[in-house]
Amino acid sequence: MLSNNFTKTAFLTRFSLRKNWLKLTIWAVAMAGLFTAIAAKFTSIYSNQAAIDSVMETLKSPAMTALFGKMPSGVSTSADIFAAEMTVFMAIMAVVMNYSIVIKNLRGEEETGITEIIRAHAVGKLSLLGATMIEAIILNLGIGLLYSLGLSVANLSGTDLNGNFLLGLGLGFAGLMFSSIAALMSQIVDNARSSTILSYLVFGIMYIARMTTDISDPKQTWWVPFGWVEKFSTYKNNDWTPVLLMIIFTIIAFALAFFINSKRDVNAGLIATRPGKKQASVFLNGTFSLFLKLHKTSIIVWTIGLLILGFTYGSIFSDIGDIIKTNPALEQMLGKSAIHSANVAIIKQFISMLMIIFAVLSLIPGIQTIHDLKTSENKGYLEMVHAKPVGRSKLYLNAITVATITTLLVLAATLYGLYLGGVYSMKDPLPLKTFAKAYAAYISPTLIMLGLTAAIIGTAPKLSILNYLYLTAALIIQYFGKLLKLPDWPEKLTPFGYIAQVPVKTADPETIIWQLAIAVILFGIGYIGYTRRDLK
Amino acid sequence: MTTPILHIEHLQKNFGKFQALKDVTFDVYPGEVFGFIGPNGAGKSTTIRTLLGILKASAGSATIFGQDVFKDAVSIHKRIAYVPGDVYLWPNLSGGEIIDLFLKLSGDKHSDKTDQLIKRFQLDPTKKARTYSKGNRQKVALIAAFSTEADFYIFDEPTSGLDPLNEEYFQKSVAELKKQGKAVLLSSHILSEVEKMCDRIGIIRDGQIVETGTLAEMRHLTRTVITFKTMDDTPELASLNGVHNVEDQPNGRQTFSVDTEQMPEVIDYLAQRQIVELQSTPPTLEDLFMRYYDTSEENIAEGK
Ligand SMILES: Nc1ncnc2c1ncn2[C@@H]1O[C@H](COP(=O)(O)OP(=O)(O)OP(=O)(O)O)[C@@H](O)[C@H]1O
Ligand SMILES: [Mg+2]
Repeated sequence: MLSNNFTKTAFLTRFSLRKNWLKLTIWAVAMAGLFTAIAAKFTSIYSNQAAIDSVMETLKSPAMTALFGKMPSGVSTSADIFAAEMTVFMAIMAVVMNYSIVIKNLRGEEETGITEIIRAHAVGKLSLLGATMIEAIILNLGIGLLYSLGLSVANLSGTDLNGNFLLGLGLGFAGLMFSSIAALMSQIVDNARSSTILSYLVFGIMYIARMTTDISDPKQTWWVPFGWVEKFSTYKNNDWTPVLLMIIFTIIAFALAFFINSKRDVNAGLIATRPGKKQASVFLNGTFSLFLKLHKTSIIVWTIGLLILGFTYGSIFSDIGDIIKTNPALEQMLGKSAIHSANVAIIKQFISMLMIIFAVLSLIPGIQTIHDLKTSENKGYLEMVHAKPVGRSKLYLNAITVATITTLLVLAATLYGLYLGGVYSMKDPLPLKTFAKAYAAYISPTLIMLGLTAAIIGTAPKLSILNYLYLTAALIIQYFGKLLKLPDWPEKLTPFGYIAQVPVKTADPETIIWQLAIAVILFGIGYIGYTRRDLK
Repeated sequence: MTTPILHIEHLQKNFGKFQALKDVTFDVYPGEVFGFIGPNGAGKSTTIRTLLGILKASAGSATIFGQDVFKDAVSIHKRIAYVPGDVYLWPNLSGGEIIDLFLKLSGDKHSDKTDQLIKRFQLDPTKKARTYSKGNRQKVALIAAFSTEADFYIFDEPTSGLDPLNEEYFQKSVAELKKQGKAVLLSSHILSEVEKMCDRIGIIRDGQIVETGTLAEMRHLTRTVITFKTMDDTPELASLNGVHNVEDQPNGRQTFSVDTEQMPEVIDYLAQRQIVELQSTPPTLEDLFMRYYDTSEENIAEGK
């Protein structure tokens, strides 16, 4: 019976690996390359004790803890810093990778009808899920091994072999754990979009729990599966317990996924699709309202999700902007108002680092909306719309308008959440104006990113992946720039590099104007391309 | 004749190096149902998608209502309705919502006629598109198209997923359109459907229109199969003009096929040999189309 359920699993695994090999290779090479390159960079920039000591002060601050993870005590080598600062970020990347691959494999294929065709052959009920699980194991542990090798090659001072394998494989198992979450969520609801939303919901809760416990009481982070990556104590105690916990978690989640998979029908989930309206409401009366309706769930989920994320970051302002706590002697030396302005300066610095994360996150739903012009073309949803007196220019303008509204709304919600968090946690909170200024400065670079997306979808839709690659590059450059002591020029490769210091500094109007001009040109290029080319 | 609604002249479409349409020329007039047929991959859908402005023609011209199909797409689309062969619908919307949306996009409204059509095709409009079967998705598109006030209706294999009962409703609805003087372009692989509904037919193969005309005109180009029995022998039959494939059958019957033009002389000849039995099978549409569908060279050479 059991073997029957898994008939042809090996064959399907090979088939899936062959089909996905390019995607998998790119992910593996990019992740391992990034990891190793940063490790090598650490070797050279933190080569002496003075450099290590000076960066330690910054990294121990609550702001850095919130962003990069908890720095353990007694850190003395560049390897220690690397292990402490890179794990959270690499784990996030692993989550994104696993979610996209697993959900595409399970729900995406089911939606296109491929699952039905495959299941009609002599394959087991659970073979497809089994094949995806094996693929995830190969991918994550492969990347984990590459990390371990990369660490040996990068030759950081203070590493040891056990630690290299612990950190590398630990991150690999963390990725695998999130593949099991995606697999489980894919069984519960009956379509890829809902599975993605549900999976990220689980991750979002874990991320926020990890951040708050890191700052308030790091012991509590043990309760958060995403927090386990911070508990390896790499190169000090080399504790494999978190890896064991991850394996147990993964086994349980996959077992549940298999159980539900064996019970449910193809194209169904645990939660069945409810019937819809008999007639369209008066609001659904054109392509603009259609796009709004199609993206409604995504807009709501992103807005609320990031409002909460912003609030969480804001609620640690009181911990971050408290220099007395870290240095009590200052109280005697400085006056009350001097201390206050110093605190405000630290918080503003923290906000300027958060801005890039917020901007990138709010761009994701916007970019998705523009990409949807291409995906719904490929899926054939627009075929009949094209036969209506709608016009390509209208479709294009509707799509970029909805995208722009989405991104700007989500960014506003995030900053408002941040503001509310500050109000909630601080005796003397920052005024809303500070956040409004930061928001205003980030409008032009986000519009450039959306404009670029539109230009690519309009002229060369096959290259749409570039949009996400560029966005990721921008994030990495801004997020790690200081830590890696990068020169100035990489920052200037993305529009965010020109307004990076906001709200510490104010953005100059000139920058905003030329950025807006570029955005308009890019949207224009997309317009010309989209209205002229063959659709699909 | 009246001015055509659709006028295509030497239309070409290349995808990179591949020439999907080499030379497509035909017209469709008001009040007629034009059948557009040809083997898989011949270029029917490509032609239709070019007519809708989804694809941009590489050469040649195509106009609907006298306007250019690409440049004036929006204004043309105010007066056309289209049903593709593969209907894909937004999974999150219900059938009812999608029908209404399509109507609104055309500037129409949900009317009594829409309700009648929903009843006629027996569609449950509250179901989400995600849960519709292929036939049901097709019904959504058909209901939206038939309740649209248009002058030109384009159907690309619209009935490939319909059961026979719904197929009949489809034919009925098209007949109603024709009565109202609308023009219809119907691409289909279901020859009985084409035979029953179409006034004129265009056959496309390898991106080229190889034949257009009424069914009667085309029948003229083909052979009738005749089975007969005569009292006297018919030794000269095989050598008569236009007679092919003479074969002996059991019970002293013989069969042969004859070019339609030569029929009178051949029947005369048989009559002189004292006919006992005579059965003539007119060429079916299948025979006619097999000749064009079958791409093997000898068949083409021999056919004409
Ligand atoms: N976007 C495209 N890029 C490249 N080739 C294409 C594209 N679209 C269609 N073709 C090719 O053009 C030819 C004509 O295809 P088309 O879909 O028009 O055929 P069809 O007559 O509708 O066939 P069927 O009866 O199977 O529907 C085919 O060889 C097809 O592979
Ligand atoms: Mg076709």
